[in-house]
Amino acid sequence: MLMPKKVAHRKHHRGRTRGMAKGGDNVTFGDYGLQALEPGWITARQIEAARIAMTRHIKRGGKVWINVFPDKPVTEKPAETRMGSGKGNPERWVAVVKPGRVLFELSYSDEQVAREAIDRAIQKLPIKCRFIERDEGF
Amino acid sequence: MAAVALKTETGRPQGSAATRRIRREGKVPGVVYGLGQDPVAVSVEWPELRAALTTDAGINALITLEVEGDKQLSIVKDIQRHPVRRSVMHVDFIRIDPNAELLVDVPLNLIGEARELIAANGMVDQVMFSLSLWSKPDAIPTELQVDISELTVGDSFRVENLTLPAGTRTEVDPEDSIAIGTVTRSTLEAMAAEEAADAAAEEGEEGEGGDAEGGDSDGGDAGGDDADGGDSE
Repeated sequence: MLMPKKVAHRKHHRGRTRGMAKGGDNVTFGDYGLQALEPGWITARQIEAARIAMTRHIKRGGKVWINVFPDKPVTEKPAETRMGSGKGNPERWVAVVKPGRVLFELSYSDEQVAREAIDRAIQKLPIKCRFIERDEGF
Repeated sequence: MAAVALKTETGRPQGSAATRRIRREGKVPGVVYGLGQDPVAVSVEWPELRAALTTDAGINALITLEVEGDKQLSIVKDIQRHPVRRSVMHVDFIRIDPNAELLVDVPLNLIGEARELIAANGMVDQVMFSLSLWSKPDAIPTELQVDISELTVGDSFRVENLTLPAGTRTEVDPEDSIAIGTVTRSTLEAMAAEEAADAAAEEGEEGEGGDAEGGDSDGGDAGGDDADGGDSE
């Protein structure tokens, strides 16, 4: 699974997610993309599950790009623990996603298969997403 | 290439709220700059802009802008779109000199079928989607065609292999790749998994040759599970 090799700070504040994606809202590398329509946190497990869903569906002859990286640690306190005693332990890594962000890109010869592969990946994600194509011309 | 006429309105109010109001009226805010003159904030009607940019000339269409009664030859330099709705939020026009060369991005279109590459389970990886060209305004090509029918695994189609139209030149490194013939990692993994499954099935058949028939299907299933587990990790 994706995670940073080393970090400056082990525990982050949660923060707020406001506004739209400032960049990364176009298909840049492949022919098709998976675009987020809602803000949210995507965990490293969800990214990996979506990637596997896509690569298994296209089988061979395609290429997948992952455009987001889970660089934010999320902490949790153990179950049945009294409040206090500081912040919990880092449990997982998430990527903060804003609406418009292209999470995955896919290059494949058959559009129908690419559409199906991206639909399967969408099923693995906790936010509303859609299939998009590369902007050609206007 | 004939220029398309486009009327503009000047003196639009500045600021985000006022700009939103302009967009709500079906207009697109924009700016006209270039040729050492002052930039002018304009707005254009969305249907007219769409019609101007969906001609055969494509996105690099020559546009004769009517700015305060003055006609100025220009092209679209940049378009900003809404990240989700994909509607055009803002458009930049750059004034051009009809006798001087200008730098434009021309889309690259792959044509042909790389039969040898497909037979080897490979795919065409397009790494460059547009090429920056110096060209006179009347010689801007709509698109450049890249013939990939001779592409093989490990081979690449470079900028130097491209035949540029007369009157155009590029300053892009000739060694830069446009399209690469490659076999992806996932394809190699899928091929390895298939080979492993075939080998396991053959071993199962040989091992169970003298035994009861029921054992064959169990061995095949176990091989398939192993292959799946290897993919997911």
